[in-house]
Amino acid sequence: MASKYHKTILVVDDEEDVRKYLSAALIGSGFDVIVAQDGFEALEQVKKHKPDLISLDLVMPKKSGAKFYHDLTKNKEWSKIPVLIVTGHARDDLGKADLKNLTMSGPGVYLEKPVKPDNYIAAIKKLLNMDTTEEEKKLGDKIKLQSELKTMIDNADPEILEKLKKIIKPDNEK
Amino acid sequence: MVKVKKIDSIAKKRPREAEGWMYKNIFQLVPYNIAIIDRDFNIVYANDNFTEYFGDWQGKKCHQVYKKLDHPCDHCNSILTFQDGQTRVCDEAGVDQYGKPAHYVVQIVPLKQRKNGPIDYIVEMSSDITETKRWQREYQLLFDRVPCYITVIDKNYKIIRANESFRENFGDVIGKQCYEVYKKRDTKCPNCPAAKTFKDGKVHRSNQVGIKKAGDKTYYIVATSPVGRGHGEVNQVIEISTDITETKMLEKEIIEAERLTAVGQTVAGLAHSIKNILMGLEGGMFIVSQGLKNNDTNMITEGWEMLERNFEKTTTLVKDFLSFSKGRLPDLELTNPNDLVMEIVNLYHQIARNMGIELKANLDENIDKFPLDPRGIHTCLTNLVSNAIDACQLSDKKNLEVIISTNFSGGLLTIDVTDNGSGIDYDIKKKIFTTFFTTKGGKGTGLGLLTTTKIVQEHGGKISVQTKKGEGSSFVMTFPRKRLYMLYKGNQD
Repeated sequence: MASKYHKTILVVDDEEDVRKYLSAALIGSGFDVIVAQDGFEALEQVKKHKPDLISLDLVMPKKSGAKFYHDLTKNKEWSKIPVLIVTGHARDDLGKADLKNLTMSGPGVYLEKPVKPDNYIAAIKKLLNMDTTEEEKKLGDKIKLQSELKTMIDNADPEILEKLKKIIKPDNEK
Repeated sequence: MVKVKKIDSIAKKRPREAEGWMYKNIFQLVPYNIAIIDRDFNIVYANDNFTEYFGDWQGKKCHQVYKKLDHPCDHCNSILTFQDGQTRVCDEAGVDQYGKPAHYVVQIVPLKQRKNGPIDYIVEMSSDITETKRWQREYQLLFDRVPCYITVIDKNYKIIRANESFRENFGDVIGKQCYEVYKKRDTKCPNCPAAKTFKDGKVHRSNQVGIKKAGDKTYYIVATSPVGRGHGEVNQVIEISTDITETKMLEKEIIEAERLTAVGQTVAGLAHSIKNILMGLEGGMFIVSQGLKNNDTNMITEGWEMLERNFEKTTTLVKDFLSFSKGRLPDLELTNPNDLVMEIVNLYHQIARNMGIELKANLDENIDKFPLDPRGIHTCLTNLVSNAIDACQLSDKKNLEVIISTNFSGGLLTIDVTDNGSGIDYDIKKKIFTTFFTTKGGKGTGLGLLTTTKIVQEHGGKISVQTKKGEGSSFVMTFPRKRLYMLYKGNQD
């Protein structure tokens, strides 16, 4: 498939509609796309095609995104592939712990479902250090900043956070 | 001090003198306060005990001395005896010589000087019961104020005595049968514990539901005990009841709270399903708009279908979740769980076999009926067996089997579904009971285990899993029998 950018993105998600959607957005922007529906298939695809970036869902049956990522980084070559996490579980019990571990040691950028096509493409382009339009650049920066902030807050000492909160909003008792 | 010998010898020689001496001493020695009064209430004679107790009596009227009153007592019993010559025993309250209140029992006996003549005097013999009266008051207080309902009934179940607590709560008792007042019934209660006590003279206990004065229901434990320790027939039975309505309400609240916790946790899991649906809608819209932009009919169709699919998923999700979160009292019937298990085994035995899996039952022969919701338990077993079969399919092992077992011991009914399939990942095991999670991709709603958990909790029970990756899993449902019966009785009343 001749694409504008000649870059291949591996989209990993257990929901068919999500795969269809993200693929359509990527193809529409000029990327090539391969898909996988769980961690096992994803590893197979990485072996076969060596994608330029992996768009990764976290909570999947058979092999979760976190486990896949863990296996990925074990391989020297593969660990260099940038990963964008697209998850619906950033803030609940199912995903919070996994996400925290990942963002601490690995990809610093993640998106929370549902995603808008523009944000998604901008994030992908940013991770690939590609030339972007002004708007895409702004979007990309915003997303990166948001992710970094979220990561910082998640990793911060809860006591210090409480103190900060009081300084910012001194009227709040709680 | 009476010298018996002396009286003996005197008696022989001077009998009248001996008699006089004897009577005088008896008059003084008997442990009674004796006074003799005439028709005008004058005390003409009294013994030393009387003087000690009531004080000086010479020239005084009896009501002045007994009660420190200047007029005859309102219900003077002596007047009556003067009139009809009947002996009387009366319970009186007076004042002793120190001015302290005194309670005494007095026997009133008419005295005639001439056999056929009028009644000239009355002998009043009184003995102090102040102490006894005090105890009586104390015990009465105890009986009345104890925070239990106490009634004493006769063989016809008529209430002879009832304490204050009982009357306050259940209403008027005079002339009524205990079942009339406790339960507003006109016939004896079935399984009446008092009936058993009348029969065997032993203490019996049972849980009951009564109706109070105002018409509200009340739950209590009643203990019936025979009055007296004789070895003969039981003529009276004491019924003592402790109100446990509050405890019952608490238990119900606990079960409800457990259910709400599960619901609360699933709300978090619900977010996942919704987010994916939103992605589908987002995707559908994007693909349709791309299709329109590029004049690509296939893309438009594909996008539109995605929209339709996801709208339908929303509807299904809402319906499932609404029905799931509704708290229901299960429709309990006395059912033998072994029958339910056999139903499931018979239903799925062949299907399982076609997949190379043996579905078997391992039943506790000694169990009998329990209050269970047959449809609910059927759903649970179907879900667990279906999951077990799926787990077996993921495994390459040869002798795959799913075994459903029943057991009753230590007050707990246990039903478990065990397979030797693929086992469950630790990560997933942590979350399976409480979240919308499915390993079946688009097919599973993720609600199966959640629904099972809900049904188990509605029965007051618990569900847990033991699993080892690669070896198999065992899903165990436990139902405390007490809770099943509590829910069962609650439904009936």
